[in-house]
Formats: sequence, C-alpha cells, structure tokens
Amino acid sequence: MASTTAEEQPFTLAVPDADLELLRTKLASVRFPDELEGAAWDYGAPLADIQRLVTHWKNSFDWRKAEAAINTLPMFTHDIEVDGFGTLNIHYVHQKSAVKNAVPLLFVHGWPGHFLEVRKLLPLLTAGPADQPSFHVVALSLPGFGFSEAPKKPGFKGRHYAEVFNKLMLSLGYEEYVYQGGDWGCALGAHAVTHYAHTHIKAWHTNTPFYRRPKFLSNPLLFLGLLTLPFNEPALAGLQRSQEFMKKGMGYYMEQATQPQTLGYSLADSPVGLLAWIYEKLVSWSDDYPWTDDEVIEWISIYWFSRAGPAAAGRIYYEITNRNTNDLFEGTKRTTVPFGVAYFPGEIAQTPKSWSKMLGKVVFESTHDKGGHFSAFEQPEKLASDLHKMFGKGGPAHGVVPGRNGYD
Amino acid sequence: MPSEPNPASPNPETPFTLSIPQAALDALRQKLALTRFPDELDDAGWAYGAPLADVKRLAARWADGFDWRAAEAGINALPMYTRPIAVDGHGTLDVHYVHQRSTVAGAVPLLFVHGWPGHFLEVRKVLPLLMASPVDHSDGHVSFHVVALSLPGFGFSEAPKKPGFAGRQYAELFNKLMLSLGYEQYVYQGGDWGHVLGTHAVAHFGGKHIKAWLTNMPMFRPPSFLSNPLILFSSKLPYADSALRARAQDAMAQYRAKSFGYMAEQATQPQTIGYSLSDSPVGLLAWIYEKLVAWTDNYPWTDDEVLEWVSVYWFSRAGPTASARIYYEMTGGSGDLVSVLSTKRTSVPLGLSYFPREALQGPPSWASTTGRVVFTSTHTKGGHFAAHEQPEELVGDVRKMFGKGGPAYGVVPGKDGYDA
Repeated sequence: MASTTAEEQPFTLAVPDADLELLRTKLASVRFPDELEGAAWDYGAPLADIQRLVTHWKNSFDWRKAEAAINTLPMFTHDIEVDGFGTLNIHYVHQKSAVKNAVPLLFVHGWPGHFLEVRKLLPLLTAGPADQPSFHVVALSLPGFGFSEAPKKPGFKGRHYAEVFNKLMLSLGYEEYVYQGGDWGCALGAHAVTHYAHTHIKAWHTNTPFYRRPKFLSNPLLFLGLLTLPFNEPALAGLQRSQEFMKKGMGYYMEQATQPQTLGYSLADSPVGLLAWIYEKLVSWSDDYPWTDDEVIEWISIYWFSRAGPAAAGRIYYEITNRNTNDLFEGTKRTTVPFGVAYFPGEIAQTPKSWSKMLGKVVFESTHDKGGHFSAFEQPEKLASDLHKMFGKGGPAHGVVPGRNGYD
Repeated sequence: MPSEPNPASPNPETPFTLSIPQAALDALRQKLALTRFPDELDDAGWAYGAPLADVKRLAARWADGFDWRAAEAGINALPMYTRPIAVDGHGTLDVHYVHQRSTVAGAVPLLFVHGWPGHFLEVRKVLPLLMASPVDHSDGHVSFHVVALSLPGFGFSEAPKKPGFAGRQYAELFNKLMLSLGYEQYVYQGGDWGHVLGTHAVAHFGGKHIKAWLTNMPMFRPPSFLSNPLILFSSKLPYADSALRARAQDAMAQYRAKSFGYMAEQATQPQTIGYSLSDSPVGLLAWIYEKLVAWTDNYPWTDDEVLEWVSVYWFSRAGPTASARIYYEMTGGSGDLVSVLSTKRTSVPLGLSYFPREALQGPPSWASTTGRVVFTSTHTKGGHFAAHEQPEELVGDVRKMFGKGGPAYGVVPGKDGYDA
C-alpha cells in the first residue's frame, strides 16, 4: 500500500560543524603527488588544476552559503520499503508546478552526478511559458548517493532501484508518471520501464542514449540494417569520442565494478583523492563546460558529505553488472511506452542512433550541437525544450498521463 | 652494512642509509588519526575489496604499534647504495639498489628486478640463499653477487620526470647499473614488471651482457596463429598434477574476473588515482593490501609485514603516484597487457618458474616467442610474490638452472658461481 504524503518529511541539509572541521584539517594536510613534465590531461587530472581547486576549497569555497542555497529547494525524505532490503530513507527534491495538471516527472541522475543536476531544469519544467507543458518534478538521490540511505546488503539490483522509484512516486500521489534520466538514469530507466511501463511509467526520456550491442538472434532485422549504415561525419566523430572513452576513460568503471570497497577507502578518506576522481570526469565528459571552481567544489562536496559516504556510490557498478559479468541492461526488456532520446555531441558513450530503437519505442529524437554527458547541467534549456516538444500539445507523448497533460 | 667492493668496479659506490625524517613519520601519524573510514555491506568478506575490519586493524597498528624505526634499522642492515645513471633522453636518475657480493670470487652476477606492488625488499629472503658459498666443491651451491634495484619511481630511486620512460629506457638503466658495478656480463631474475622488463632487457642487451634469465611470471605472447589463445592455453600449463593446474587456472580466472581494475586505472589515468595514493594512507594501504592477499598463496602475512611493505610505498622517494605510471608508459596509455612484452625473440637461455597461484602464466611453448627455454620448473605452492612467499623454492630453481650440471651453468665466462 503506497505511503501517503503525510509521511513526507521536509529535509534540511545541515552538515555538522565537526564534519566541516575534519574536512578543513584534511585539506590543510594534503600530500600532493608530483607530475610528469608536459603531462596536461594525458595521465589524469592535472596537478595545477587540483592544487588550485584544493586551495579554493580550503580558503574560498563557502559551504554554508552553498548549503543555504540548496536548502531553498523543496527537499524531503521518505522511508521506502524495498523487498529484501528493509527500509531505505530516500532523499528527494519535489517541486510542484502551479499548473495543477502538470505532468509528474521523475528525474534520475547517475554517477558522478547527483540530485542537484535537476536544479537548472526545475524552473524551466515547473514554471515555463504557458504554451509549454508543465511538470511536477521529483528528483531523488539514488540510494547510496547524496542524502539517501544506502542499501546495507549485497544484491541491490535494477529491479530494486525501479521499486524505489515507483514507490516514491506512488507515495506522492503520482500513480502515473513520466521518467527522465541520464547516465545511470538511462540504464535504470530501462529497468524501471521493464517493471512499470504502462501501469505506472507512461513515457520516458534519456539524454545519454546508449545501449548494448545488438545480438543477432534477438534483433535480426535491425542488426542487418546496421550493417549497411554509411558512416557520416558527425557519427564518425561521435564514434571516435566513444572509442577514446572506451580506451582511456574506463578505469574508474573497472575498479568500481570489481573492487569498490578497495577504492572506497581512498574516496572516503581523501578529499583531494575524491576531487580528482570526479573532476577528471566532470571535465572529460562535458562539452567544454566552463566549470567554475565553486561549481566543482560544490559538486564534490555533495559526495564528500553524502549520507552514506563516497564509497557507497560506486557499488552500483558492481551490483548492476554483477561484478562486471554482465552489462547495465541485463534483466531489462524493451517496452512500448513512448521513448524520447536527446543526442548531445559531447556524450562519451555514443552508440549508433538506430540502437535507441532497441532500448525503447522511439517517438522523439533530438540532435544538439552543444552539450555533453551532464546536459541537464550544461544545456538545461536544450533539454527542457526537448521535454516540452515531446510532451507538449501536438507532441508525440502529449497526454500520456491521463488527466495530467501539462496544461490547466 | 656495505659488503666488500668489487675490485673491477670503475666507480666507488655511495652507501645509502634509509632515514625517513621524523616530520614525515609525524605527518603519517596525523593523517592516520584523521582517517575517515567508509561503511561496508553486511557480510561483504573480500567480495567488494579489502575488508573493513582488516583495514581498520592495520591502520590502527600503523598509527600505534608498528615500529617504523625498527623496520628501517632492519632495512639498513642490507648493503644499499645509490648511483646516478644516465638514460638517453631522460637525463640522470639516482638509482637506489641493494648490492650484496658473495665471498666466492667467481660468483655469478645477478640482477633481481621487482614489480608492482612490489619493491626491492622482495630480494631480502633470497639474498642469503643466493650467497651460500660452497662447503666443498661437490656439495656447494652456486653463488651469486646480487644487485636488486628499486625501479625508477619506486622505493628510493628517483622517478623519471618526462613521459616516455618505457622498455628500452629500463633496459638501458639496468645495463648501465650493472656495467657501472663492473659486471659486464650477468644473469637476470624477475617477476611481475621484473618479468616484462626482462623481455626488454634481453632484447636490447641479451647475449652481449645478459647471458641468461629466469622468470617467475612466465607470461608470453601467444603464437600469432592462435586466434583464440584462451581456449588452448589452460590445458597446456606444465603442472603434472591436474589439481595444481586447476589452482593455476583459477588464479588466472580470478585475475581476469576481478583483479585488473587497478591496472585499467593505472594504465590510463595514473595521475587521477595518484592523488588518492599520495594523500591517503588507508587508501594506499587498501590498494596494495588487496593484492598482497589476492595474489599470494595463503601467505600468512603479519600485520607488521604488510605495514612495512606499504610504508616503503608511502615513504618512497618519488611518492606512491610515480610507481603507477609504469602501467601507462609500458602500455602506451591503453592497458593492453600483451603489448607490454618485447616483440623480439632472442636465443638467450630462459628459465621458467611456475607457481600455482601466479595469475599471469602461459604455456612453456609460448615462451619460445621470446627466448630459448632451457629450464622449466613447477611448484606446488606459491603465488605472485615468489621470492617473498617461497624463497627456498625460487632459489632452488636458480640453483638448478645455474648450478653445476644445470642448463645455464657457466653462462657468464669466468664466473661460474664457485671458487676456482
């Protein structure tokens, strides 16, 4: 039985002074490595960048100010029962639109992302122009990320995440809703629709469309079609970016998928270690986004001060891939709820566009000329515009949620 | 304590005394006191990585209980030196090494090369065994003058400052070190990177300088006609006992399944992981300890043994980050393990020591892509750190290969390992 909104507890972020003090002390005693001459980004996050960011973190970044701003978001926690895992206290943003018939939308982040990736989208989705559809937006911290509890036992799989998502939305009175996600938000979207398509999830969208290589036997016609695809230039550039990522950018994945605890000691104990681990991806996965030092440090701080600690987040790779023995989509099936995809040029894992058809029933596609992996953060207007077009009047997913078509 | 100098050595040796500044010890203790530990899943065991209880216990002892100064004094009992070695294109690197000369004048010069996460101290247990001088000529063991360096960027050797320090550069450095000690011709023993770099050393200086070598990580390029080497090779491991073969196959399977993440990161983004390894004692401890346990054959590590081992990394001259770069440089930033081996084949005599829990081993027939196999030996116990886990067994192989009657006896002219 779905919990009622009476159990929705307002959440105020208040990192204890002692935690700030410990961080300060650690930052004051960082032991930096050396660096090879002319290394730039070849060997990892550059020393000059990391030193500058540590100095900023130590001397200039004002956590309390950032915290106060985060607290202006409407945030809550809610206990969610997960089959086999007891109760997890889930943290989320819940921004309702003034438009009563706004479309309920669940926004799901990935790694190294977090719930704040929804921040710039919120006003665009909940209070956009009157001729565009409005949304009630729910953006959770995934279990083990941000301010949600982490599972305590092994085996938290895709269907468990799906269960958390669905129970959360039901608890807020959203029997039927749509879903938007990138990175893990995409893979977990595939898991969510596998279990709740049509009954609860009426449509979904991803800004990081990637999928497994098609197996000949499961999709013979599609596979044959792929063999005759000519490679045009943008596709080729995308493929090269993906190849670069596969060749040089997968170390984090391999370690997190096989030995997340070993890695976790570093990430929990060393602010500079955590900073470098995430910053390397913030830069290499975005499309020349002009990160400010404050932006980076706030982003890392969410991990540093996360409820379960930074080591917990990496376990999703281990659990979903079954310690790197299967891909992210194991256990999912293609569903026929309307599916939208946004292609951004700076995306790291670019698979041929036709593969999106195997991930879902593509009714909406957009191709952008700017933006990378973190498009909600980098290009919120573009992403919001995609959702407006997909769900707006005349759009291919307009009115999918009965009684909540986005307009009063 | 320095041993008798080599009369043939053109340059006097500079003794090295390890003396970590008190400030560094204090800083380590302060960091340990500030450790923020992660949580752990219920009943995780070793499934997700180094267990929390182990790491907490080790960290507590590291902060209070482990006596670094005592360990340091023990290390200083070894005859250690430093020497500047010029490497083409990389300036001069100050190289740290152990150099123990045998009392047997005709001892065979031997270069011992460690890997990652190893270090020069892996030579410690084999050192006295390699020194053994003959009681009489018929019973005596072959004797060696042993040189065991800290690889550049490891232990107490300087690290390269520029990109591109790879196989050829290591080979050059090894050879110049041995030549500078008066060892024109010598033999070589190594595992892990010591094995990989052995293929390069022999490719460049085999025959003329390196007369023979023994590896305890017998991993080689598969013959090119094999399109799927994995299918064939597990059945061709030389263990007579199928149970041992199964143990070896399991070690390989474990490595492939879950032990290579460190390599994927170090070969592509060593600087990124390096910030953690440099800044967090428990981070470094867990990173290395996981391998010390996973890669050995039920070796009964004591806490102090582990802590001394990790301390060598923590207090290393170039810092722990430098040691990770070898993966990047040797794989061209790709992490492709097979690409690290030299492609050249020589006829330099090659010996293979198979230990059942060494994850990276291939059939003896594959070794023919690299060299002329004259000796193969299999063991019933031992893993990746053979010199540390099974010193008697490893030295037994060295003696069989180089001793009187052995296939590489007398390879170094005038230095057959025995008194005249």
